Amino acid sequence: MPAFSSEERQLLNDSLRDLLADKYTFEHFKKVARAEDGDGFSRADWATYAEMGWLGVCLPESAGGAGGGATELGIVMAGAGRFLLLEPFLGTIVLGASAIEKAGTPDQQKLLADIATGKLTLAFCHAEPDGGYARDYVRTIARRESDGYVIDGAKAHTIAAHAVDTLVISARLGSASGPVALFLVPRTSAGIKLAPAPALDGRRGAAMTLTGVRVPTSARLGAGDADLLPAIGDILDRGAIAVCAEAVGAMAAVTQITVDYLKTRKQFGQLLSQFQVLQHRLVDMSVTTEEARAIVHAALQAVDDGDPQARHTIWKAKVKTAQCARFVGGQAIQLHGGMGMTDELIVGHYYKRLVLCESLLGDGEWYLKQLAAEMA
Amino acid sequence: MFIRSVERDTSLDAFRAEVRDFCARELPAEVQRKQAMGQHLERHEYDAWLKRLGARGWITGKWPKEHGGLGWSPAQTLAFNEELGRAGAPPLVPFGVNMAGPVIYTFGTETQKRTYLPGIIRNDTWWCQGYSEPGAGSDLAGLKTKAVRDGDHYVINGQKIWTSLAHWADWMFCLVRTDDSGKKQEGISFILIDMRTPGITVRPIIAITMSHHLNEVFFDDVRVPVENLIGEEGKGWTYAKFLLANERVGNVEISRLQANLDALSRLLAETREGGKPLAEDPLWRRKVAEHEVALATVKALMADQLAATAEEGGAPTLMGAAALKLRGTELQQAILQSVMDVLGRYGQLYQTDALHAGWNGELIGPTDSAGLVYEHLYRRAATIYGGSSEVQKNIIAKGALGL
Repeated sequence: MPAFSSEERQLLNDSLRDLLADKYTFEHFKKVARAEDGDGFSRADWATYAEMGWLGVCLPESAGGAGGGATELGIVMAGAGRFLLLEPFLGTIVLGASAIEKAGTPDQQKLLADIATGKLTLAFCHAEPDGGYARDYVRTIARRESDGYVIDGAKAHTIAAHAVDTLVISARLGSASGPVALFLVPRTSAGIKLAPAPALDGRRGAAMTLTGVRVPTSARLGAGDADLLPAIGDILDRGAIAVCAEAVGAMAAVTQITVDYLKTRKQFGQLLSQFQVLQHRLVDMSVTTEEARAIVHAALQAVDDGDPQARHTIWKAKVKTAQCARFVGGQAIQLHGGMGMTDELIVGHYYKRLVLCESLLGDGEWYLKQLAAEMA
Repeated sequence: MFIRSVERDTSLDAFRAEVRDFCARELPAEVQRKQAMGQHLERHEYDAWLKRLGARGWITGKWPKEHGGLGWSPAQTLAFNEELGRAGAPPLVPFGVNMAGPVIYTFGTETQKRTYLPGIIRNDTWWCQGYSEPGAGSDLAGLKTKAVRDGDHYVINGQKIWTSLAHWADWMFCLVRTDDSGKKQEGISFILIDMRTPGITVRPIIAITMSHHLNEVFFDDVRVPVENLIGEEGKGWTYAKFLLANERVGNVEISRLQANLDALSRLLAETREGGKPLAEDPLWRRKVAEHEVALATVKALMADQLAATAEEGGAPTLMGAAALKLRGTELQQAILQSVMDVLGRYGQLYQTDALHAGWNGELIGPTDSAGLVYEHLYRRAATIYGGSSEVQKNIIAKGALGL
């Protein structure tokens, strides 16, 4: 049953657009991203998002959320893409929250309330340095001790992992062939060595090594020895479609910016927007964005409908969105000419965000291969 | 095929060995180290290397002997560039050797040749290109920077943009408007400007690479002696086009394309997916083969242009250069896109600090990953600089197809 009527969805979309258009200007983006004494995102803005109800939009009402579905999550993520938000949406309200919801004990589910209020930020640290996009490559190991676990291993660069409160870390129980479990580990735990590094799009994050990291039994998500790999697959699928929605927001914004620019720039005595070859290119950008929007919307709808094929629809959306993002981002720079190459214009920042959206949680080629394997 | 025959030309073996030995002996270790990591070089680091090359006349080896060159054939020039690339040396900086020099020796006076060519040959002077303006990009002939005659000087006012390395340059070759009464192409003149002249302001433009390479250059009553004019007043567009054809052929650096493709193969061997090297993936092997096909084609297009320039007084045509530039820069972006597709597995990073010497932070991923991401971002401009792909297509439509 959809929790939101279409009017409510419109309201959510409008509230994002109105507030962010006003507050999250390009100047604000640069200031937050580049503040030497900051973490590359704004905790004050995060608190505002919580107040607006955006962080809890898909969390259960029992956790203070609005009980929304994937479509509502998509609306929020599209807003994050449209305004190049720097805050840790993906790790916290998508992957992290989803991990707690899917795997957490009733006690751990209480943490969801802290996500809704903005008190708890998370990063989902699953991928490992030699694993690439493979979802089942987990070499990190958690060994049982009398009163908890000791974790050893390494995790690949994860956005916001340098600064969030808690890391959600996957590890195999006992040995390299043990079942995969998830742990909630405070970022500042002894034994975690973070290697902070900037992402291509100006956000920040960190890779990490874990050496003898001790956590209590209660840090493990859920109970029993069930292998969480299938659940992790679902969590990553949810992340993948959220990243697609983010890309759609960014594509829509940068296409409009490019249309507007060509209406003001004159060469050879006429506006660039009057050259048919450039009109057609803008049309291609627009149709491409529309294709991505349509398939992403279909995938979100499939999730909300409980469609058994939803997983494949998400993968198809990720493939298509990656291709669309590459075209739209590249053409946005091309049609801006030299100006598109400057740090001073927002166009290049959209390009970089789209490059990230293309490959976060797996690039188009990777999803295409998964589809090919399952459809054979 | 010309390029294939260059690669097999045993008569160049001794020359190749000489270049290799020279590089092994003379290429400064620091320059080589920075190149391998994809780090930015400072002007003094370029100079340390280029002056050594210049002392042998190798920077301008391909220039005709009567202008101070060594009269290298296209085959020898290509072999030279290849050996530089293999030795891990930086490619030559094109503004003097490929752009200013040939215009000066083709259209300049004897005095101008004596004045400017030796500095290019020895790398004593650095040049920059005063072409684009804020209102004159694709429509280059629409430029407005004005030069007004005042006795023995031109007084120049206006602005240039996207001026690579203007902050290092000693001289600028510059297109100025000396007449705005007739057709816009007819009022343009080609003039050489000492960058130390009062009234010139150079302002950095930070690119999406987060680096300073581009500049804006402002002219405020800049007085330039009349003897710095190249050729005839009002004929600058002819010289400008001659230069553009050379520039566009130069935009397609075969040795850099090869180096980027080599880097891709190396990354595929080093990068693992689920623990297995990507190099074992048949789809990646197919992709590399596709790039090889495209590279062979671009080399064949290049061979045609080089053969044209090899003839006495020959120069590449704008149309031939357009086709080559179009496909060459597309390939450059395609190879670098594949590089990014592999690097994405390291977490989509861009550690810009790693591009500067002296950084001792922790590098995540392959040692030259920051340099390769820089290269990917920078070469988004390859289909823009030197005349956008759209402009190249217009040239072919008009010139070759008569549309």
